[in-house]
Amino acid sequence: MTTTPITAASPGAVSLGAPTPTDRRGSWVPTLSLITTRMMELRKRRGLMIALVLVNIGIPAIFLIVRLIMHAAAPKSYGRAGGYDIFTGLVAHLMYVFGFIVAAVVGCSAGSTDLTDGMFRHLVVTGRSRVALYLARIPAGLAIVLPIVLVGFIFVCAVCTFAAPTKDNFDGVTLPAGLSLTGFEAWAVSHPTTTICDLNPPGGPGQPPPVNFSVNCPGGYQIGFQKQGAPTQQTPPTPAQLRAGALVFAKFNYTAYQQTFLKPPAGLMIGAGLWILLEATIGFIVGLGLGSLIGQRTIAVVLMIVLEVILTPLFVANRIPHLINLQRGVVGLAMAHIEPPALPLAFGGGMNNGGGSRLMQIVPESTDTAIVVIAAWLIVWTVLGCWRMATRDA
Amino acid sequence: MSVAVSTSEDRKRHPDPQWAVETHGLVKRFDNNVAVNGVELLVPRGCAFGYLGPNGAGKTTLIRVLLGLTRADAGTMSLLGYPVPEQRSLALARVGAIVDEPRFHGHLTGRQNLQILAAAREREARDRIGPSLERVGLQHRANDKVSKYSMGMRQRLGVAACLIGDPQLLILDEPMNGLDPAGMREMRDMILSLVAEGRTVVLSSHLLDEVQRTCDAVAIVDRGNVIRQGTITELLAGASVELQIDCSDPEHARGILEATKLGASIKSGANGLEATLPLGTGREAIAEVNRQLVDGGISVYRLQEVQASLETWFLQVTSRLGAPE
Repeated sequence: MTTTPITAASPGAVSLGAPTPTDRRGSWVPTLSLITTRMMELRKRRGLMIALVLVNIGIPAIFLIVRLIMHAAAPKSYGRAGGYDIFTGLVAHLMYVFGFIVAAVVGCSAGSTDLTDGMFRHLVVTGRSRVALYLARIPAGLAIVLPIVLVGFIFVCAVCTFAAPTKDNFDGVTLPAGLSLTGFEAWAVSHPTTTICDLNPPGGPGQPPPVNFSVNCPGGYQIGFQKQGAPTQQTPPTPAQLRAGALVFAKFNYTAYQQTFLKPPAGLMIGAGLWILLEATIGFIVGLGLGSLIGQRTIAVVLMIVLEVILTPLFVANRIPHLINLQRGVVGLAMAHIEPPALPLAFGGGMNNGGGSRLMQIVPESTDTAIVVIAAWLIVWTVLGCWRMATRDA
Repeated sequence: MSVAVSTSEDRKRHPDPQWAVETHGLVKRFDNNVAVNGVELLVPRGCAFGYLGPNGAGKTTLIRVLLGLTRADAGTMSLLGYPVPEQRSLALARVGAIVDEPRFHGHLTGRQNLQILAAAREREARDRIGPSLERVGLQHRANDKVSKYSMGMRQRLGVAACLIGDPQLLILDEPMNGLDPAGMREMRDMILSLVAEGRTVVLSSHLLDEVQRTCDAVAIVDRGNVIRQGTITELLAGASVELQIDCSDPEHARGILEATKLGASIKSGANGLEATLPLGTGREAIAEVNRQLVDGGISVYRLQEVQASLETWFLQVTSRLGAPE
């Protein structure tokens, strides 16, 4: 090689402008401005944002608004728009799955957009830590996904609560919905014959009744109760006896009545809300990691949809010999195990018939294991995404 | 200024801050293909430095290695006196670069793209967005989406992206691509003004005429090796000498010159004889040509040295080395 020596800069060469900044840009902790600009980049993707809003807010809103209109137009033909069943069905079968998929699409986009748009190179050249560049996307993306999921969920809660049916059908008896114990007792006292004839007798099957009288029920049949050891009462009960008896029936039946509330209880709404927010968070973070790993959005999105729509239902509901521990590592199974008990199984089809029977439908796993699996998915995909971002040729 | 002889380990530990870019034995391989092959490069501060080479010579790969976009397989390097990759963040804090075609988020405006890049730099970078856009002449289109920008506008946005970091060193890979003649002139003027401010500009380009007009020094790279580097004046001084000769008897003159030991290759042209003297021939050889012709009884009406261009020299150097083996 022939090399002609080059003279260095003359002593008069300018030492430029600002000194080398000491802004710790090598740190892996993302700055607030980095997060807000990453958020802006995602927020400005109009098509993605429309899809996000449409799926998480639009579809439940259209469904409920149509029901509201139909009920308003023909209240005798169509029930009220909201209610317990509508709430649990929408949350478990629609918002849970769609929330995950849309969050995953946003995550895959966030994980691959810099590469596909050619911005990754510009960002790396700033000297900012690649890990910080990756980590900035997590709060930025979640700050977009979670509020939209939450708005959709709050809308569903509102409609299901305020447009819930006003009459509850409990043991074949039509009675007001959502009564407190006092209200339920008051209703029983004012409808003693119906209460005694139609609700479950206190003590349950085979248990001696706490009252001692016979009642002529509507329909021409007589129902009699006899306390153990007490003489049979031959005369019809007085109104005071009937009311006292109805009160006993009301106290006994209130717990079961509570479970058939027509509007979702606040505790269930809070639990279900946190559950679908966690599912959306998992969808986003796994999508982000996968998008970063593959560097391409379409393939990552397809893989995420396959995971949620095909693999998860398969692994949740079927016990595969010799692979049961592998199945326990599927995040969808872990999410099914921490699902609020009052909700139907998201991938099981059909309604929940009580916590025990629902859990019997799916591959067994302890709650602790489920929490560990969820945490592991969040951590492992974040680490994988960071690693790929840090080692990728730009 | 001479460079002290030192071991590779010394240089790794103590990069010389007088160089904006310093590499020693830099190697980058892609499987069996050696894209950068032991490159020794010294770019002084405060100058415009051209980095030239034929397609596939390894220009962009070297730039990517320097900027930490891909890892080197061997060798040491430093930017602005900071060893890379050990102090990469510090080094890149005052470096701006365009590598390959400048691409941005098409769904964002030019200003928003710069906001993203400024957020990755120091706080003051945000204040430089407006002035940078103004300097590259994009202030009126700053709020348009980049997807609507022409190639030339994206080039200028790329330069603006470099300027928001107030760089001491700019590395521009083919910055003239996509620019019309007026845009090329503006870009050239801007590079010169950046150098006049004391910044160092490393310019990779295949537009040799532009490089000659813009740069103070160049390095020629071929097959991953730097085969020449130095100031343009010094390098051209070592180029072959071309002479145009208008004389009374061209055929006789040709015979005389071919019989001498000057090693000239002679051909007839529209303006008389054209003689090419070998690489490294000094100006004294021109006087010798004249003397030989006069002694041979030839009347010399005009003897003119044709100024070697960087392009001519580049083609001589690279074609010689690029010939099939």
